[in-house]
Amino acid sequence: MTRMSAPLLTAELLRRLEQFQLLAARRAKSSSRGERRSRARGQSVEFADHRNYVLGDDLRYLDWNLYGRLDRLFLKLYEEERELPVTLFLDASESMTFGEPRKFDFARQIAAAVGYVALCGFDRVRIRTFPEHAADAAYLGALRTVRGRKSALPYFQNLGHLTAGGSAQFNESLRRGALAAQQAGVAIVLSDMLDPDGYEEGLGALIGRGFQISVVQILSPEEINPATYGDLRLIDSESGGEQEVTFGKFRLKAYRQTVDNFCQRLREYCTARGISYFMSPSNASLEQLLLKQLREAEIWG
Amino acid sequence: MNFLEPMAFWFALALPVVVVFYLLKRKRVVKLISSTLLWQKFLAENQANAPFQKLRKNWLLLLQLLMLILVILALARPYFAGDAKQSRLRVLVLDASASMQATDVKPNRFESARAEAMKFVDGLRENDQMIVLQAGAITQVKQSATSEKAALRRAIEGAAPTDSITRLDEALRLAETLVKDQNDAEIHLFSDGAFPFPEGFETKSLPLVYHRIGTGAENAGITAMDVRANPDNPAQRAIFANIANVSSNAISARLDLTFNGQPVDLKAVTLPPRESSPQVFVVDQSVNGFFTLKLVVDDALAVDNEASVISLLPQPIKVLLASSGNRFLEKAIRAVPNVELSTTSDVRLGGSGFDVVVVDNIAPLEWPAANVLALNTWQTNWFDQVGRLEQPPIVDWKNTHPLLRFVNFQNVFVNESLAVKTPPWALPLVESPQTPLVLAGELNNQRIVWVGFDALQSTWPLRVSFPIFVANAIDWLNPATSRAELLSVQAGTPFRFRLDNAVNEAKVVLPDGSESELLINTNTTEILFDNTARRGLYRLKTATSEVAFTVNLLDSGETDISPRNELPFGKSGQTVATTVQQANLELWRWIALAGLAMLMFEWWFYHKRTA
Repeated sequence: MTRMSAPLLTAELLRRLEQFQLLAARRAKSSSRGERRSRARGQSVEFADHRNYVLGDDLRYLDWNLYGRLDRLFLKLYEEERELPVTLFLDASESMTFGEPRKFDFARQIAAAVGYVALCGFDRVRIRTFPEHAADAAYLGALRTVRGRKSALPYFQNLGHLTAGGSAQFNESLRRGALAAQQAGVAIVLSDMLDPDGYEEGLGALIGRGFQISVVQILSPEEINPATYGDLRLIDSESGGEQEVTFGKFRLKAYRQTVDNFCQRLREYCTARGISYFMSPSNASLEQLLLKQLREAEIWG
Repeated sequence: MNFLEPMAFWFALALPVVVVFYLLKRKRVVKLISSTLLWQKFLAENQANAPFQKLRKNWLLLLQLLMLILVILALARPYFAGDAKQSRLRVLVLDASASMQATDVKPNRFESARAEAMKFVDGLRENDQMIVLQAGAITQVKQSATSEKAALRRAIEGAAPTDSITRLDEALRLAETLVKDQNDAEIHLFSDGAFPFPEGFETKSLPLVYHRIGTGAENAGITAMDVRANPDNPAQRAIFANIANVSSNAISARLDLTFNGQPVDLKAVTLPPRESSPQVFVVDQSVNGFFTLKLVVDDALAVDNEASVISLLPQPIKVLLASSGNRFLEKAIRAVPNVELSTTSDVRLGGSGFDVVVVDNIAPLEWPAANVLALNTWQTNWFDQVGRLEQPPIVDWKNTHPLLRFVNFQNVFVNESLAVKTPPWALPLVESPQTPLVLAGELNNQRIVWVGFDALQSTWPLRVSFPIFVANAIDWLNPATSRAELLSVQAGTPFRFRLDNAVNEAKVVLPDGSESELLINTNTTEILFDNTARRGLYRLKTATSEVAFTVNLLDSGETDISPRNELPFGKSGQTVATTVQQANLELWRWIALAGLAMLMFEWWFYHKRTA
C-alpha cells in the first residue's frame, strides 16, 4: 500500500466485516463452484429434488430408500453451490482525485471492504477501473480475478497501488464491463457519477446483463458545500472546459438545491430499476456506510 | 426642467466607457475543480427560475449606467424654476470699485465677477429680463432691461473696473426703483462686500442676492495723504500719509516719496497686522509740483499702493480783520503762520485784494467777494430771519470737519447768540438745541464761516480751542487751500475747477497719456471733468493755462479688501453670500444622493453575488 499512508481498512473493521456475507437476490449463475446456492444441480449436502433414473447416471446418487418403498429408481438431486462473481466498477478518473479526503481513496476503501467480504464468502471479486491506466496494468491484471480469503492481502495491496487520472467514459466503461462479464453477479459502482454524458446508458447495460447493482455515489465536501466565493472561472479537471460563475453565500442554498436535485434524480433512476443507491461524501464515516447503510440495504448481512 | 451646466452632458461620453469596461471581462479567479457538471446544472436551474434572466446577466452594468447617468444629471445641475418665482426681472449689479481689482482670485476679482455674471446670464430663462448696473463711485446703467442675452453679455463685457470707491447706495437705490412693483424681481450683487454699508437699507426688504467674490485679504495701502506746511518750519513741507495693513500678517514694505518724479525720500515700514501707521515726511520744496508716495509691497491690490498730491508753494495769506475791537481775535489771527493781517473798523470794507476777510461784530455796507469769517453778524441775506437767544447750551459739534480739528467746546459758555435756521448751503458745525451756533459752507464760490455769537460774550476766547479754531478757519478759508483741495479728487468724483479766464476749449491729459477733449460751453470759466475713474496725475490744458490735478483712491474702505460674507441689509435685514441661484430649485443634491444610494445598492448587490 505504497500510495496510501494508512491501510485501506483497519484491523478492527476487517474483523467486523468478516461476519458479513454478500446477499445475492438471485441464484448464482457462475460456472465455478462456490458457496452460493445456484439453480444448477450438483454435489452438495443440500437436497434439492428427485428425478427418474436414466441410464448412465451415477449409481451413488440413487435413493435406495425410495427404491425400497416404491420399487422404482430415483436419483437424488443436490443443489450445486456456486460462487458469486462480484464486480467492482471503480471510477479512477481525474475528478475522483478531488476532495479531502480524496474521493478515490474513499472509493478504494469501499472496494476493499466489499472485496474482503466477498473473498471471505469464497466469491470471485473483480475490479474494473475506468479509465484503465497503462501504468496500473500489472495491478489491474491481478485484480481481474481474485478468489479466496488468502488473496485478501494481495488484493488490498494491489488496490492500494491503483492511481486515478485522465477522463473517464462512464457509460462506455460500464457497457464494456457488462459485455465482458462471463456471468452476471453483484456489481458495485463506485463513482461520483459526474459524467457529462450521464449515467443511464452504462447502468442500463449492467441491468440488461442481469447484474445486481449497487451504486455508491461519492462526492467531495467541496462539491456539496462550495467554500470558494467571488467571480470564478471554473475549469473542469477532465474535459478542461471552463465555466464562469459568480458565486456567493447568498446563492449557496440554490446550489445545494441543485446538488440535491441531481442526487435525487439519480436515486429515483436507481430505485426505479432495482438498483441500490448510496450517496456518501468522501469525508463521511466509513463504518457508518459499511456497517449500517449497506447492511440495512441488505447488500450484505 | 432646465440645466445650469448643460456642458456636463459631455460626461455622457463616459457611458460607453463603462460598457467597454464591462465588456472587458472582469478578472475571475481561476479554479480547477473536479467537474463543472454541477455548476452547469446550477446555472441552468437558477437562470431558468429567475425572472428577467436576460437583464440579470447585465444587472451590474445597468446599475453602473444608472449611477453614472445620475451623476451626470447632478453635474448638469437641473432645476425647476418654482412657479412662485415666475417674475423674471433681474438687476445685476457689478461692483467695479477699486477693491475689485484685487488679485486674490485669478486674474482678479472683477474678472471673476464678470465670469460669474456671464454664467448667471447663461442661466437666465428665455423670457427673463435683466438690467446690468455697474457700481463704482458713480452708478452706470450698462444695459437697460432686455432678455437678449447677447446684449447682456456685451454689456457685462463692456464693464471695466475703476480705481474709485464703492457707492453702493446709489446703485441699490436705482435697483430698488427698478424692481419696485415687480412681482418677483431680484437684485443680484456681484461684489466683494468691501464697501461702507449704505445706510437706509436695513429695513427695506430688498430682494437682494449677494454673490461674493474674492477670498483673501492680503493687502496694504495708502489710505490718506496730505501735504501742508511743516508746523515746525513753515518753509518746509510736511507730507502726512496713513498706511493701513488689513491682512492678518505683519507686512514689511518700503515707502518711496518722489517729487515731480524725482526721488526725495524713502522709508522702510513694518505694519503690524490689521493696523494702520501714520507716516510723516518733511522735505524742502522750491517749486510747485506734486508729491507721489509709493508703497512698495507685494499685495493683492495695487491701486492703493500709490498716491499723489499737488503741492503749491505757500503764499502769504492776506487777511483783513474788520472788527469793532477784539484783541483775542486779532491775536489769534496773528498767531496763524504766514498771515499778512490788516485791520479796520470801518463798515466800508472794500475787501478786494484780500484772501480772507474777518467780519467781527460789525455790519459791513458791502460784503466782500473774498472768503469770509463772520462773527456775530446778521445783516446779510444768508438767513431768512434772525432772532436772539439767551445762554444757548452747546450740545453738539462736528469735530470731523477740518474747521473743528482739535477744537473742543466742552467748557465754552455762550451768554447770548443769534437764532437762525440753517440755510441750505451751510453745514451746522456747532449746535444748540434751538439754533446752530457755527455754520460753514460755500455760497456762490465764496466760502463762509459764520459764528452766531459774540466771542466776547462767551468764555470761548479764554479756551485753547479758540486760536485753533481761528487758525483752522483761516486755513480753510484761504483760497489757496481750497484750490489745493480742488486739485486732489477721489477717483470717480468729478473734477471741478474755476478758471481765471473764460476759455472756449480745454482738454485733459489722462495718466496713461491719452487726451480727452472737453465739451464745454463757449466762454465758460468752470471746468467739469468726470472721467476720473483712474488713479494718477491729470493735466487740464486750456489755451492759456495748464493745471495739474491728482486722482487718488485714498479710502480705507477699499483698502480693506477682505470679502464680507454678510451684508447688513436686504430682505430680512441681512444678506448672506450665495454661490448658487436662490431663485431656482436645484435638484443636483437629490440626484447626487440618489447616485450615492445607487452606488451603495450596487455594492450590496455585488456582494450579495460574491460574498
